[in-house]
Order: sequence, then structure tokens, then C-alpha cells
Amino acid sequence: MGLKRRKLEVQPPYVSMADIAFNLVLFFLILAKVQEEKPIPWEPAEGSNVVTITNAKIVVAVGQDGKIYLNGTEIGVGDLAASVGVKLAENPSSKVVLLKIHKETQAAIFNKIMEAVSEAGGDVFHVLNEEKS
Amino acid sequence: MAAGAAIAGGGGGRRGSATQTVGVLNMLTDLAFNLLIFFVVLASNEPETRGRPQQLPASKESKETEKKSDSTQITISRTTVKFNDTEVPIEELKSKVAGVIAGKSDPAERIVIVKNEGDTPYKTWIRVVGLIEQAGGIITLQLDEEKEVTVP
Repeated sequence: MGLKRRKLEVQPPYVSMADIAFNLVLFFLILAKVQEEKPIPWEPAEGSNVVTITNAKIVVAVGQDGKIYLNGTEIGVGDLAASVGVKLAENPSSKVVLLKIHKETQAAIFNKIMEAVSEAGGDVFHVLNEEKS
Repeated sequence: MAAGAAIAGGGGGRRGSATQTVGVLNMLTDLAFNLLIFFVVLASNEPETRGRPQQLPASKESKETEKKSDSTQITISRTTVKFNDTEVPIEELKSKVAGVIAGKSDPAERIVIVKNEGDTPYKTWIRVVGLIEQAGGIITLQLDEEKEVTVP
């Protein structure tokens, strides 16, 4: 008696592979976002007439410890003008430079930062909390 | 998670074909949701930032301005604010500045020179500058000049 055997054809799991690929992409995307900004300890000052701004690519931050960071990387004030100039040249569509300066930072530091940003040709934007009246 | 390898066998009949179709549909739905999450995450990376823009004149322009006009000068230290070398409470600063520049339409006449002592905190500077701008003044910063000194 002859038995008919089914012929099994195994195809690669294309849809599953695409699924896994997208999961991996999502994983690394979220991981990169989480690692993007190191937590710099700072408290914003309060100001009036605050407005909202988006799409600013360059951030100069000054933490509680007085250290200066350009887009999350620590930098000396002497190198700030040149570095900001390079970043502005990389992104000519926007000249806005966000300043996230801790509220107790002394003028000896923030004066030099504003001077450096102005020298590099950037437009200063102070990040502030709305003043409580 | 999507199912494993798709196995196509001969002679499965209607039930076998329907099962395979449902399995493939589940995987495609899974993939569609992944795509949706991908684009939502990609689109949600622009946080809103609130603050205030600051127009700073170029250093050459500010030096010329200081020389030409006898502009109003405000000196800020850690504990005091001086209006033309006279100490004033910070609450009165806005009215003082507004009184000086009232009726002046020429921007050169509305310039207010702001000078900081080295230990002036940023929060005080922001508050004073905000009051000056509310009064209609145009801020010019006076920064310390670096001088070369030859030591014999």
C-alpha cells in the first residue's frame, strides 16, 4: 500500500523578521533618546513675558557647580565661541542658542557666555520659568 | 509576537487555508502597530521650551554707543541695584527707567547700559533686565575689558 506523503515547504518568516527588525529599531531609538541629555543639575530663573520656542538645536547649560555644557558636553568658556560658531554653521536655518543657566550663577560666568554666543553670531534665548505674580 | 515560520502544505483544505490566512493577518497587524509606534516616537522628540529672547548688540556697536550718548546706566550687584550711581529698590526701577525714556522714539536715546558686578546672581540680572525691557529700554551690556599689562 503506497502512502502519499505531504510535501512540506518551509518558507522564511518574512513578516516576523520585519516585525523583529522594527522592534530593534524602536529599542535603539528610545535608548538613544534616553541617553541624549545627561541630567545637568540646574534650576531656571523666573522671568516675565516668556514665550515658547521649538526647534532650537544648540543648548548652552550652566549647572549648579558652575560647569558649562554645550549640547550635553562639558566645555571651557574660552572654547565656547568657536564651538557655537561651528554648530551654527552646521545648521544655518536657525541661529537660536538656548541658555539654560542655573539661577544662582554669577555674572563672572554668564557674562562671558553671552559674550561668546554673541561673538559666534547666535541669537540668545534665556530658558526661564514664568514669573509668579 | 508574530508566529513562526509559515508552513505551506499540500492538501490542507479550506480549514488549513483559513488558518494560514488568519495567522498572516495577525502578523501584519502586529507589524502595522510597530510602524505606528515607530512614527509616534519619531514625531514626539521636540519638547517645548519657554523663555525670553535677548537681543545683544555687537561689542563694537555697544562701545560706540557708550561713547556717543550719555545713556542711562544701571549697575547690579549681589544685593543692590543702582540707577545712574544712585541706589534704588528694585521695585522702583521700572518707573525710574520709564520716566527717563518717556517720549523718546529714537532707539539711541532709549539705550540702557547694564553693568554687572562679578558676583551678581543670574536671577537678579534676569529680573532687572525684564523690568528695563518692560519700561521700553534697549539693553546694552557693559562687560569688563581685558587689558594687557607689561610687567617689568
